[in-house]
Amino acid sequence: MARFALPLALFVGWWLATARGWVKSYQFASPRDVLAELANLAATGALWHDIGASVARVFAGFAIALALAIVLGALVGGSRAVERVLDPTLQAIRAVPSLAWVPLILLWLGIGETAKITLVAIGAFFPIYVALVAGIRGVDRKLVEVGTTFGLSRAALIARVLVPATLPQLLVGARIGLTQAWLFLVAAELLAATNGIGFLLTDGEQTTRTDEILVAILLFAVCGKLSESGMRWLERRLVGWTDTVPV
Amino acid sequence: MSAARIRGLRKAYGAHLVFDGLDLDVARGERIAILGASGCGKSTLLRCIAGLERPDAGTIATTGEVGVVFQEPRLFPWLDVRRNVAFPARTAAERARVDGVLGLVGLAHAAQRLPKQLSGGMAQRAALARALVRDPQLLLLDEPFAALDALRRIELRAAVREILEFTRASAILVTHDVEDALALADRVLVLAGAPADIAFEGTVGDGATRAAILDALGVAEYEGRARRATSR
Amino acid sequence: MTPFSRSRFLGLAAGATLIGALPRVARAAGVDRVGVDYAYYNPPSLVLKSKGWLEETLAKRGTSVDWVLSLGSNKANQFVQAGTIAFGSTAGSAAFLARANGVPLRTVFLYSRPEWTALVVGKDSPLKTLRDLKGKKIAATRGTDPWFFLLRSLATVGLTQGDVEVVDLQHPDGRVALERGQVDAWAGLDPHMAASQLEAGSRLLYRNVAFNTYGALNAREDFLAQHPDVVTIVLQQYERARQYAATHVDETAGLLADASHLDRKVAELQLRERTTYPGNGVPDRDFQSAIGGVVSFVRSEKLARPDADLEVSATTLADTAPATLALRG
Repeated sequence: MARFALPLALFVGWWLATARGWVKSYQFASPRDVLAELANLAATGALWHDIGASVARVFAGFAIALALAIVLGALVGGSRAVERVLDPTLQAIRAVPSLAWVPLILLWLGIGETAKITLVAIGAFFPIYVALVAGIRGVDRKLVEVGTTFGLSRAALIARVLVPATLPQLLVGARIGLTQAWLFLVAAELLAATNGIGFLLTDGEQTTRTDEILVAILLFAVCGKLSESGMRWLERRLVGWTDTVPV
Repeated sequence: MSAARIRGLRKAYGAHLVFDGLDLDVARGERIAILGASGCGKSTLLRCIAGLERPDAGTIATTGEVGVVFQEPRLFPWLDVRRNVAFPARTAAERARVDGVLGLVGLAHAAQRLPKQLSGGMAQRAALARALVRDPQLLLLDEPFAALDALRRIELRAAVREILEFTRASAILVTHDVEDALALADRVLVLAGAPADIAFEGTVGDGATRAAILDALGVAEYEGRARRATSR
Repeated sequence: MTPFSRSRFLGLAAGATLIGALPRVARAAGVDRVGVDYAYYNPPSLVLKSKGWLEETLAKRGTSVDWVLSLGSNKANQFVQAGTIAFGSTAGSAAFLARANGVPLRTVFLYSRPEWTALVVGKDSPLKTLRDLKGKKIAATRGTDPWFFLLRSLATVGLTQGDVEVVDLQHPDGRVALERGQVDAWAGLDPHMAASQLEAGSRLLYRNVAFNTYGALNAREDFLAQHPDVVTIVLQQYERARQYAATHVDETAGLLADASHLDRKVAELQLRERTTYPGNGVPDRDFQSAIGGVVSFVRSEKLARPDADLEVSATTLADTAPATLALRG
């Protein structure tokens, strides 16, 4: 219950500020306006359409990033030589902030879905890749030795020891990657979107509708939180065995 | 047909020569304990036999399966006890042994637990059970009780003794504890020198008395210290 | 810290706080900076900026001028909403929408009467009529006159926003998207529209002067109330610039070309053929009816907040008092 105390306090503060006129409606919409707009969007179906569009982009981009990160992460993690070739370039690319990508992507990929999904994928890729490489490097050699004493082939060692051992790291990376995917989605949807939560944001911005802006921000917060909670649940289910192990 | 036969074992780490032409025989059903000062190479010897290190020269021949128990349990944290123990099982016959082996080490009641839920002693027993699933002819134990407290050590030592009697497997026990050697082994060896070689060898109940072993260890320790002093 | 230096430190800190608070006190009395925007679709603003008339006249009062570039009505409205600028240039329709959505701005001056927007298609486009736009991708900047123009044009043949795919891009990006073939049509805005015609051979699919809603200069009500003297000066100089732009088309074209980095011919096309400066800049009845034409449309396409009072916003948008006062003397 304690976790709801702060949001509740903020909400009350917000309501008071707009009701008392400390903050004008054109600067910050009131809770009532935001809920009204939310209801309006839900009634016309636009809400689900926009949420659906954003969620689809996030998951498409995330899926691509996951696949790519696993491949590259495994290659780099498995071989120092490959690391020396690939990693420095990847680290440099990783340093570029999301909005800096927008003009480049616009130039190369235009304004369609491909461009947006690519942007999301770029954001999601790096946390997963970095975590996987760290996970592979950090696998306890002692466990691998056990596999060796049982005469496991290299393939069997990878499948039966390495993969389960790196799963916790991979999932943490995936969780962070999903959060990044949402962040990059905002940048992507500023890029000539015709639908999506980011579109609601820019529409509100361009037509001076603060209620739409706040609805968009609210939706981003909720979607981001749900994604994260979902991943944490998955983590608990798949890698609940972590924590204090006598190895 | 001996359980293990080592001839002319030579192993170096860079400039440091650990063994230079070591010979060793372990007969079927025989248990030997190898003692020595820390760093003398006894673990290296065991790891060579286990296939974890490759010798530079010499031959190592073993008959049948070899089971290994390390100082740490090294259980796979993502598998429960049963699955950990069943990990090495390749055939239906081996899979059928899992329950029996769990009972042997006294972990039948804890088969569903995860490694993080086990005490140190229980985890080590699970590791032992895992090493037994393939019905090994030779059991390699590398300081298996080192991580346990005195009480657990005595318990587990007794358990291992019973298991060895029951399975009739040969064993090579590497330890720095004389009591372990006296409790579990038929033959006791002390490794010493650089490169290491067998400095003392005796049968328990005959030449390998506590005093004699300690003596051999003490000399080895003294020699080791002297060598380190002069090489500085 | 020794007692001596500690009290000294405290004294310095207190002094610094006081000094920091002073400007706030001073600002309440006058204003030390005024933000004014300039835009490529507002030629008088370019004249004003280049001649420095505002800086000259305001310097006597200790007020400096901050020039901010607006890329479109939407940006200008945002800047005014945030208080970054005191005077923003937009189309009349955009000003109306902002007011309807709660931004307390008033149109105090009309800087031009342009035909600055039309629907543009590529040189080799198969599209010929408005009806051909159904189901097509059209670039338009939301919240600006070209966007309104697009929607009103579509309405004349019974099409709504839902019948096309409107791609939201800033004006210059919309032109690029059209020329790259990423969109099928573009609700264009001068000078980018003129540039596209001359440089890429783009064609105007549909024109309608009546759907263009004047170049409006807007200011927030609180600024108008608090600094009437600054407002007077700004409007007087704006009218001066407006007259100048009307009588010095070539020079203004040069200014536009330089500022926007577009070709001289492009600037000339925009200014000679598509910009006029009627009246005296005071918002008049023609402006009122242009805005009136937008109201029913904003309602039917649900472009404003649900609780907006469109009629009231339309009738109260223009404030003729400041300009009338300024230009009398």
